[in-house]
Amino acid sequence: MTPSKLYLERLEKVKKTIALENDRPTTCYMGTSTPAAHMGVTMAEFANNPDVNLDVSLGYINEINKITPIDCLNTGAGGIKINVGLTMTWLSRIKMPGRELPENSIWQVEEKKVMEVEDYDLVIEKGYDALVQKILPKVIDPAEVQEYMNYVQENGERNAKRVIENGYPSINSLSSAPPFEMLCGARSMTNFFMDCYKMPDKVKAAIEAMLPKAIDILITSTKQANGMGTWIGGWRGASAMVAPKIWDELVWPSMYEMGKACLENGIVPTFHLDQNWDRDIERFKEFPAKSIIINTDGMTDLRNARKVLGDHAAFMGDVPPQLLATGTPEQVKDYVKRLLDDIGPQGVFITAGCDAPANAKFENMVAMFEAANEWR
Amino acid sequence: MGAIAQMLARLEDENLLAEVRKQLDEGVDPLAIFKECQEGMVEVGDKFSSGEYFVSDLMMAGSIFKQVNEMVTPLLGEEKAEKVGKVVMGTVKGDIHDIGKDLVVALLNAANFEVVDLGVDVKPEAFVEALKANPDAKVVGLSCLLTTCYDAMKETVEAIAEAGLRDKVKIMIGGGSLDQSVVDYAGADKFGMDAQAAVTIAKEWM
Repeated sequence: MTPSKLYLERLEKVKKTIALENDRPTTCYMGTSTPAAHMGVTMAEFANNPDVNLDVSLGYINEINKITPIDCLNTGAGGIKINVGLTMTWLSRIKMPGRELPENSIWQVEEKKVMEVEDYDLVIEKGYDALVQKILPKVIDPAEVQEYMNYVQENGERNAKRVIENGYPSINSLSSAPPFEMLCGARSMTNFFMDCYKMPDKVKAAIEAMLPKAIDILITSTKQANGMGTWIGGWRGASAMVAPKIWDELVWPSMYEMGKACLENGIVPTFHLDQNWDRDIERFKEFPAKSIIINTDGMTDLRNARKVLGDHAAFMGDVPPQLLATGTPEQVKDYVKRLLDDIGPQGVFITAGCDAPANAKFENMVAMFEAANEWR
Repeated sequence: MGAIAQMLARLEDENLLAEVRKQLDEGVDPLAIFKECQEGMVEVGDKFSSGEYFVSDLMMAGSIFKQVNEMVTPLLGEEKAEKVGKVVMGTVKGDIHDIGKDLVVALLNAANFEVVDLGVDVKPEAFVEALKANPDAKVVGLSCLLTTCYDAMKETVEAIAEAGLRDKVKIMIGGGSLDQSVVDYAGADKFGMDAQAAVTIAKEWM
């Protein structure tokens, strides 16, 4: 398959943006749940059927793209079964629309302890696989995982080609979570945060035991998908969430090692950072200049990040979900314009903060990209 | 600040629990111990507000406070600390997230509020019923992590208004991504960016 000229031009723009060599802002789609309502399908069908997920997502993205161009996609255009990926990422059960939740509800993480304190020893002695094998059946039917793996095996390449045929480069082909996030999901947040105070050495040893396999999966899977990059997620390990000692010893080291491994393997790490990371944003200088993307959700101060990091890293963000859901197109345009006025276009991907919500207004999604495309 | 309050403020759980046991054995008034713990929690809240402490610290402090509370409360008998006020709390319909809500409940309890915790996925009519059953509640706290549940917050505020109770309570909202625009959308009175802010707001409204 020979990619179209448009695809190649967009791909070049993405690469230039990561290297902070672009002169215009780059528009980037991120809205895992957003297409369903606008395209008239139930959330249950959208979230549970990978083919519907891909068709509907591409239809939605193309509808916006006809009005104002979308240069790239943050994490592809669907073709996924939502709960499988999220469960593997967080080791938590995901309640799904049409199953445990009403058919038009958004999927939700069930916050429940599925890992006991003694399981830290299991991880330390036997590693990542032993933990996952023990925990996974508690949070998802293994048959469902296998069924989805078979689907990806049979259709993954076809789905990736469809996205390329539609003219969109995808920056990230995988979402990965550092061990801190996985343990937090499995222990549940309250228990895990207490563990971080009461038995930090044990938590640290477990994280270190999990890290090599977590990195191996990250690199192998991204390479298998011929991906340009991968997400390294930071949700509960955000600076605003944890004390500096916890962040320094239990969050950052594995995030850093995962990012470093990506770069050593020619993979661009996108640090998907929910919540506020202002306190520690300077630490991203530890990566080589112009090699990483920092993907924030509106709570991290990108103006401050620009001051601190200068032209060291690309930014992806950060139109707040609540603005996309409740604001007007004028308010959305104003937000994007002010952001670009303040931080400039170099190395900037304009997209929804975290993930555009299911109830983002279509006109607001259009306004977000129009504002970027029309900027100066 | 006494030793107990200082230990709580420094999140020294084991030292603190040992000290509480020691003081109880020595016959110290349980109410005095409880009040000192509250003093410690105020210090924790101040440290959070000033940026010295973070969410994990609040959770740790809440956990320690809860353990002390469980030791001390059975010993209080009739002699209980006077409550600051009553708050009806819940995560709104369609949203099952409980971490933020639970943290707010813990901090309100520590600040000596009586909290009617309705749990998660709470229908508007359940908030109305709780307010009818607790006419002395002056504050309603609506927790909502999902942007898709803004409508549920709005419906809850409308249901409270339709029941003729809107002018009897102030309504605060909190959760994930929200700001003044969501307050306006839902028809609430104020939002809190974090759990400690909920305590500050509730105190303002007493």
